[in-house]
Amino acid sequence: MAYSGVLPSARSQAMVAEARHLLMTVAPGAIWIFVFLVLPSFYLMGVAFMTNGTYGLPEMPLSLESFKRLAGFGFLGWSPGNLYTLLRSLWQTVVSTGLVVLIAYPIAYYITTCREKWRPIMLLLVVVPSWTNQVIRTFGWMNLLAPGTPLAELGQLVGLVPENMGLYPSNFAVTLGLVYNFLPFMVLPLYAAFEKLDHAQVQAAQDLYASPVRAFWHAVFPQTLPGLLAGTVLVAIPAFGMYVIPELLGGGKGMMLGNLVANQFSGGSNWPLGAAGAILMLIATFVGLYAMRRIGKRLGGGEEVVI
Amino acid sequence: MRKRTLQRSLTGFWWLTLFFLYVPLLVVVVFSFNAANSAASFTGVSLRWYRRLLGNEQILSAFANSMILAIVSSIVALVIGCLIGYGMYRHRHRKLGWLIALIYLPIVLPDIVFGISEMAFFVQINRLTGVLGPGLLTMIISHVTFQIPFVALIVYSRFVGLDPTLFEAAKDLYATPWQRARFFMLPTIKPALISAFFLSFTLSIDDFVISFFTAGPESATLPIYIWGAIKKGVSPEINAIATLMIGAVAIAAVLSLMFNRQGRR
Repeated sequence: MAYSGVLPSARSQAMVAEARHLLMTVAPGAIWIFVFLVLPSFYLMGVAFMTNGTYGLPEMPLSLESFKRLAGFGFLGWSPGNLYTLLRSLWQTVVSTGLVVLIAYPIAYYITTCREKWRPIMLLLVVVPSWTNQVIRTFGWMNLLAPGTPLAELGQLVGLVPENMGLYPSNFAVTLGLVYNFLPFMVLPLYAAFEKLDHAQVQAAQDLYASPVRAFWHAVFPQTLPGLLAGTVLVAIPAFGMYVIPELLGGGKGMMLGNLVANQFSGGSNWPLGAAGAILMLIATFVGLYAMRRIGKRLGGGEEVVI
Repeated sequence: MRKRTLQRSLTGFWWLTLFFLYVPLLVVVVFSFNAANSAASFTGVSLRWYRRLLGNEQILSAFANSMILAIVSSIVALVIGCLIGYGMYRHRHRKLGWLIALIYLPIVLPDIVFGISEMAFFVQINRLTGVLGPGLLTMIISHVTFQIPFVALIVYSRFVGLDPTLFEAAKDLYATPWQRARFFMLPTIKPALISAFFLSFTLSIDDFVISFFTAGPESATLPIYIWGAIKKGVSPEINAIATLMIGAVAIAAVLSLMFNRQGRR
């Protein structure tokens, strides 16, 4: 480095020093994430294209077998089990995201109508439950929906569940769990959008004798759209890959993609199939993120929500 | 008139939603003090489930594992994340898109994909070289990986909030880089560091999926123990551990918020 033939000028020396500084501060973390996350994910993606060997471990040669299995083609011909799981994941994601929007929208609006000093505390109240461990929160719902509890007895009265049964395991319980889990993720970006609302537009609509519904639809709703879309991404992506909630509240008939993937690894049955499912989740994630990036530039509040 | 009805029904809806958000946690806390072995009826206050916890060696070792994992991983993540946060700040005028993408990757990756990637990777490394068998070490490595981004972002945003002329002033006074770090930077970002530590700690205690897939037979943490217990059948003992965890996380989260707010002032 010292005798490279030409004497380096002061400026390029400073540039080298800067580059070295950048390297020294950033490299440990960058290398850490690269080695312990980027490499493993690439390995996992590779596994999806390998053959399922003995003990469920991946082996050569490369094949598309696991993707065929994911689509339902097994040794015994085609069976719809995996496709049902995929469709159920999609359905649960759509339904729970929709319900979360319906609850979060009025809540976010309500917070902005309250006094300014209360707002941070109200937001905090919404977020605090999500700080507890997911397993514990889901266990709380198991307690609430168990046989003999008021909710389960109400369900029996309405005829939702048979005598002496609880409200879980069921698809209903999974939806409930998902809505509960993701509500804060939607309230925060929506709140950010409502707080920036330009009230002059609403006033103008009212001055022009627009009905409340039309005023809302043309003056309020478009302004909250960025927050709504950011929230949708924050809810829908993790909901699609959810593991804990369907495992505890859903049972065998409430299985989602996350369980399908996890079972291939924990039971040691079929790594390539699990990896193929994981690729599907990755695709969903990056499509969602791409959408959020395009919208998030206008909103600029999507990221701290994750914390 | 109409507006007031709307406002009133919104207030009602707000309290209803809060009830919805807190009732599952309340049920866990309340029934942890239940004298009866039942999830349906509360017969009287007792500490029997807590006493039982103390005698359960599996729970005590799971507790120890959780603590070791959370503390060690938070410290490692604090050092590495703090360096990145500072590097991102100092070189914020460069094009660091690749670094931002790398830092956001652990945040955006679905838990389950994160967990099984690590597990598959560690299993193969272990088969080839014999090191990194599943256990506390692999869990610590995985936890550090998802904690680094949060520490880096907190430290970075703290630096951005500082007056840039302060750095020039320190330089003008002929402070060596070491002195600048020791007497200027560390004290000014101390609240951010403490906040980042408690956030990392909370994230680690909160995590289940990633721990679950990287754990070995001897390194079960509290959430993993609870998971196993639930799978065997609901018991009031779980309520007691869960209540203790809710309390611990609440304290850590409040501390994190307090120090973060102090730093911004």
